[in-house]
Amino acid sequence: MQTETAEKKGALPELLGRNWIAIFIVLLVVFFSVVARSFFSFDTAQLIFFNGTEVFLLAIAELFVIITGGIDLSVGFVMGFATVVSSKLMVACVALGFSPFWSILAASVVTLLIGLVPGLVNGWLVAYLRVPAFIATFSMLGVTHGISELMTQGIPTKNLPALAGDIGNGSFFYVAPGGAISFFSRPQVARGQTVLAIIPNMVIFAFLFIFLFAFILGKMKFGRHLYAIGGNIDAAIRSGINVKRDLIKAYVISSLFASLAGLSYVMKYITGKPDAGANMLLEAIAAVVIGGASMAGGSGTVGRTILGALVIAILETGLRIIGMQTFMTYILVGVILILAVIIDQVFPNRNR
Amino acid sequence: MIVIFSLGSSGFFDIVNFQNIIHLSTGAFLLAAAELLVVITGGIDLSIGYVYGLSSVLGAKVMQILYAGGAGGAGGAGAMPTAQVIALGCLAALSVSILPGLANGVLVTRFRVPPFIATMGMWGICNGITLFLADGFMPVMGAPSEINAIGNSYFLYIDPSKSISFFAKPSYITQANIRSVLRLVPNSLFLSLLVLLVLGFVLGRTRFGKHTYAIGGSMDAAIRSGINVNRHLVMIYVIASFVSGVAGLFNLFQTGIGNYTPSGANYELMAVAAVVIGGASLTGGKGRILGTAVGVLVLAVLENGLQIIGVSAFYRYIGVGVLLTIAVIIDRAFPDLF
Repeated sequence: MQTETAEKKGALPELLGRNWIAIFIVLLVVFFSVVARSFFSFDTAQLIFFNGTEVFLLAIAELFVIITGGIDLSVGFVMGFATVVSSKLMVACVALGFSPFWSILAASVVTLLIGLVPGLVNGWLVAYLRVPAFIATFSMLGVTHGISELMTQGIPTKNLPALAGDIGNGSFFYVAPGGAISFFSRPQVARGQTVLAIIPNMVIFAFLFIFLFAFILGKMKFGRHLYAIGGNIDAAIRSGINVKRDLIKAYVISSLFASLAGLSYVMKYITGKPDAGANMLLEAIAAVVIGGASMAGGSGTVGRTILGALVIAILETGLRIIGMQTFMTYILVGVILILAVIIDQVFPNRNR
Repeated sequence: MIVIFSLGSSGFFDIVNFQNIIHLSTGAFLLAAAELLVVITGGIDLSIGYVYGLSSVLGAKVMQILYAGGAGGAGGAGAMPTAQVIALGCLAALSVSILPGLANGVLVTRFRVPPFIATMGMWGICNGITLFLADGFMPVMGAPSEINAIGNSYFLYIDPSKSISFFAKPSYITQANIRSVLRLVPNSLFLSLLVLLVLGFVLGRTRFGKHTYAIGGSMDAAIRSGINVNRHLVMIYVIASFVSGVAGLFNLFQTGIGNYTPSGANYELMAVAAVVIGGASLTGGKGRILGTAVGVLVLAVLENGLQIIGVSAFYRYIGVGVLLTIAVIIDRAFPDLF
């Protein structure tokens, strides 16, 4: 405590520098609220999380690999692959005469299982054949892209059960004007009355998994091993960590989260297409880096990554609300990504 | 691989097809050469694919505006000769394409941003500016049609029965009998060869090249031996960006329209793939122009061959992925192959 008071002069900028994402988020919200009156509302907040579900999931996918000092370029197309597989399966199950609910459930579970395969192959290539992560996952990008294009033959999948859209675009509970609360389904009300929809299903779906894996990363031995591997792989091997197995697990988790993003996409937009996540690689990596992780590995947390992804999600939704075109998002994400690294170098001890 | 495709289809082993392969992969050659420079220094440049699109769209936009102004002037003071329009468009595109490289270089050296992040940020920025110029997702049209003639013509035309002419189609040839004319050596080949030879010479024979390898081999050793590493790196990124700009401009000449880089086109990743197949190491210090050219050819032949024997284009993505991994595994097993 004494040293802290002694360094009081430098404390304020240091504090600002370390918590710059939080400050930046506040600034963004203030900016958008000033420009567009309707921005500052509960609905918009929900919309930001709803639109950003895929970014959140892909950022976590990328985080697990980046902590180990690797990179996963395939997340966007594994996501596309998952959208194609799951939507095809749903259509097939319905055609076989299953009820929509069971079709969706079965298709989702099978998709998540199939979604482990790209990660397994990536991890095996990186850990056992010592192929650089960049190359292995880029190859996987091509393979998953090719397979999903072959499956769709260039036509996005259609005719999904309507229930998928209901789940994907529904909310956890609704409050009707009289004070009645109903879960999952929108209550029947007179025309003109507003129903308060609270917490989109997909956000709950995403954050269930994110919390689970935040726990695994932060509190379990496996999580500590990942940081050790990223920090110094030789030391990790010498201290008896089964590095190869843990690396494979990291890539499998990455691919699992990419598949989850794919499922979320299918439920929201009721279609599956190979390039669903084509341009999200930049956003996923940007979220992780804005969240303070180092590309060299060994640092980064789920919480900060979510903050990083939140910056991107706010930007995207906010820019859309104030009527900007998508190109502004690209430019701003690029600028913030670079600024994030520069700020982190000025205030290096942000992460611990 | 060439043998397999030749057996698979009679159309493959044919000089016309080989020229097609070269012609269509000019952009890939240039981008891979650009990427190689950066990879040798141990960095990576993810922005080149979008610098490519930026240059193509910007060049087209400038030509479009000037050309339209000239045509509207109806011989008045506003009218500008077509050649001048094209020259100004090229100049604008090329000078702007230097800027992302300059920014990358300064970020990497002065601000110590990892190349991966700096160039990825630049990817987003260039993509955004390109889409802004292209007005959403529209290719830019309206550039003078003469550029097509430059981009797609050949050095030598041989009419089997009669004559040889340079650069221009024999005037009596019409669309109907054009197929009988043997067209040799596309202009694009010259461009590729020129850039590849110059870069190959610079890398292999000059002090600049030696320093590049030295930086990639060991940054510390390079600094201690008195190389001005920062200035050198900035120059490398600028050259890479400039060459990508040339590639983008060439794309404009080839197609006649300014094409933005579609998301998920992954030109920069393809370039990295070619460089790696060509024997370079992503940790730096290794890699040659010749190997990279072979890498591009392998990818181009794979693509073209699969197309000609009638395999769905989608297998191409899978093929490239598998091939790339195999190349790296072979490279690991026999480190002295290249």
